[in-house]
Amino acid sequence: MTAVSYVPPNVLPPLLQKFASLLKRKWFRELVLAPPTITRRRFSNKTEDYGVFKPSRIAQIGQLSIYVQDIERSRQWYETLGGLRHSRTCEQEPHPFKPGWTIRCCYMSAADHKECLVLIEERDPEGKVTVPSGMSFFHTAFELEGNRLENVFAFAAQSKQGGFVPNYGPVRHNGDPPLGDGETGGNVACYFYDPDYNNVEFCGAMDTIENYRARYGDTRGSARA
Amino acid sequence: MNAHVGQPKIAPAKLQHHVIYVSDLKRSKDFYMKLFDLQFSALNHPDSSAAMRLSNQEMHFFSFGFYHHDICLVKHHKLKMDNNSMLHFTLMARDRDAFDAIRKSAAAMEIPVRDGRLIASAKTSPGQRSYCLQDPDQHWIEIIEEQRP
Repeated sequence: MTAVSYVPPNVLPPLLQKFASLLKRKWFRELVLAPPTITRRRFSNKTEDYGVFKPSRIAQIGQLSIYVQDIERSRQWYETLGGLRHSRTCEQEPHPFKPGWTIRCCYMSAADHKECLVLIEERDPEGKVTVPSGMSFFHTAFELEGNRLENVFAFAAQSKQGGFVPNYGPVRHNGDPPLGDGETGGNVACYFYDPDYNNVEFCGAMDTIENYRARYGDTRGSARA
Repeated sequence: MNAHVGQPKIAPAKLQHHVIYVSDLKRSKDFYMKLFDLQFSALNHPDSSAAMRLSNQEMHFFSFGFYHHDICLVKHHKLKMDNNSMLHFTLMARDRDAFDAIRKSAAAMEIPVRDGRLIASAKTSPGQRSYCLQDPDQHWIEIIEEQRP
């Protein structure tokens, strides 16, 4: 099938992608945040300022299903860049909540997570495949095997060798130079757009209850800001 | 990826976190915290985050209790979200009690519940219970009872 060329409005233009790494420079972040700093609207966004951590009712994310225009094209991308494995592709089935519409599902698995991703071609009653809007989720994230900074950099390197260009990263989502972009979570990450501009993060070394406290102790975010 | 033939390839271990667009952060935050007992772990606001300021977004982070974040809610201050790039996501209830507690909370919050898996072709383990519901932005969420050996 021929996919429609559509770029969702939230996609970072190529020129801005080139400059996104400036977020790793503190002077640049301070420049961007100068208006709220001057007007005293700036505040800490650090994790310890909020009451975490205790177990919730949820253990983990089980599955995600996303719309794609062409299952074969997307499957190849997730296998080649993402390193996911194809589990099965099903025949068309009724859409679960749109009467008269159909879906076709391709189930993809990660090393330790069976059928975690479903690539879905959605067809309207006339059989036309819908074009994903890009506006239901900002990104989704896979944790890489090894779950260390080195693994993310190795992934970024192998992606580059394969001809894939990240739209952002590798960066670390904290304020620690030289990788930190001033965000939160501590995860080392690189982001890629799939063929339908779904934004996919590949990450590791995210802060957890244990390692966060090992790094920062009980110091509150406001004290570190 | 011919360059890596013969080399161990770094691949994903699992789906770890998911960041969804919402139209009203407070409404969705209340929903997710009340229904799933998610723990609010951070806030990236255009007045505190350079990336959020540049992208006109605001992000609220939620933890299941181990990782810093597992679900994040994002409000784009210029663009309108929709339901046309994601069909659903699944949350694994921690145990039988949590699975039932979520359903009980859904009833108390008057959230309609649909029994079973959302996608007919999705696999279910014998005896595994599941149901689906929608968040305030009509994102479909599937709840599955985690089965531990």
